[in-house]
Amino acid sequence: MRKRLLNFNIVAILLMFLTPNTLATERNKCNTALKLIPSYAKIQYGGGMGLLSFGTGWAYGKHNQGETDMFFGFIPKYSTYKAKATFTLKQNYIPWSIQLAKRFSVEPFSVGAYLNVLFDNEFWLRQPSKYEAGYYHLPSKMRFHLFCGQRITFNAGKGQNVSSNAISLFYELSTCDILLICRLGNSYLRPKDYLRLSFGLKYQFL
Amino acid sequence: MKNIFIGCKIFIFIIIIIFSGCEMFEPHPYSGKIDGELHINAKNIELIENRCISNKQIKFAVISDSQGWYNQLEDFVEHLNGRSDLDFVLHLGDLTDYGATSEFILQRNILQKLKVPYVSVIGNHDCIGNGEDIFLEIFGQLDYSFTAGDIQFVMLNTNALEFDNSKNVPNFLFIEKLLAINNLENKRTIVAMHAPPRSEQLMDNLSKVFHDYIKRFPNLMFCLNGHGHHFTERDIFNDGIIYYECTCINKRGYYLFTVTPDGYEKEIIEF
Repeated sequence: MRKRLLNFNIVAILLMFLTPNTLATERNKCNTALKLIPSYAKIQYGGGMGLLSFGTGWAYGKHNQGETDMFFGFIPKYSTYKAKATFTLKQNYIPWSIQLAKRFSVEPFSVGAYLNVLFDNEFWLRQPSKYEAGYYHLPSKMRFHLFCGQRITFNAGKGQNVSSNAISLFYELSTCDILLICRLGNSYLRPKDYLRLSFGLKYQFL
Repeated sequence: MKNIFIGCKIFIFIIIIIFSGCEMFEPHPYSGKIDGELHINAKNIELIENRCISNKQIKFAVISDSQGWYNQLEDFVEHLNGRSDLDFVLHLGDLTDYGATSEFILQRNILQKLKVPYVSVIGNHDCIGNGEDIFLEIFGQLDYSFTAGDIQFVMLNTNALEFDNSKNVPNFLFIEKLLAINNLENKRTIVAMHAPPRSEQLMDNLSKVFHDYIKRFPNLMFCLNGHGHHFTERDIFNDGIIYYECTCINKRGYYLFTVTPDGYEKEIIEF
């Protein structure tokens, strides 16, 4: 176990001296330790995970159809007593990519779900014991979101590492459990009442 | 060339969506980012006091617990706007299910369509997360009072369970202050709240003290509460002070009170 950890450390130090392109080549050789290195960074604006969220994650699948992201988000104070931080675990599925020009492609449809947790002690994950069972229905600390969206990608990668060094601009329409419940019982609500818009940038470096 | 043209069209589509839907940007359901009308209670109290200043008779509607029932609240507003005999509306709390900012905004946007002024007290659901902050910003203070004709309305936060002794709930100091500064001798009093005494929000030992406190108001006529989702009429402490509980908006009912110099009449109206 210790030997494996040592190997991993050596790999990590070596990585610091490798360029993105050589890293991508190494990664494509199915080295398990290298597979753990995130392959992209993202910035997202809105979407119920913070005003701005910064994240990283892993792309996988034959054509990188799957993505798992981790975000840390920031919510300003606005009308509340303090600013807040959030953490989001997000799963994306991007089934199609259409090549538009030599370096441009669009992903016409992306879909997925995410869980968001608020770092604030006023919010709870499990209902405090002062309440009788089932007094409140949903945890205030954690929200579940569904989304769909589109992307456009500019690819500056060279050679065999076609997916590395690519920048994508994306937008998403999402809703969360609270708003979805509101919509299910109320035909009065219009899409702008229960859908939320967000956009972001993704930089794929591996 | 054709592909680039399609790419440009998609980008324009994205930009249009981004700029047409600015109100759809929400940092978080509990963000506290509020657009539109704020401090509604204070503004509407001024309207109510001016409207009723020389009225011998006042007529007001009471609703409660509209959380998550937007269709029904919209129907209520439409129904009430068809009447021309009312002075104002009291909402007895629980505008939201989860205390989320967007829930408060959606409820406010419907209530703002009322042609008569309205005021609201905070409910226990409205206190979840940072709901109290949002209520303070959109509606105003948790304990307040106003006058309509010769009636003093005392609106109180009774959701003691939500505050864990971190705030004065119920706010006896506010009651004492109100009794001290106001010349109430020629006035009658109606006390309104969300959770009634002896509910799980206001424990038994607090309930008795609370009731004794509000009995200090001169000519206490009756009390109003929500929370229970039923129309009930209870003499909780067997001393002749009635607590009228208003049903939830989902059951499409509201109280209509007509207060005259000789007393009052109460009607249950379904819409």
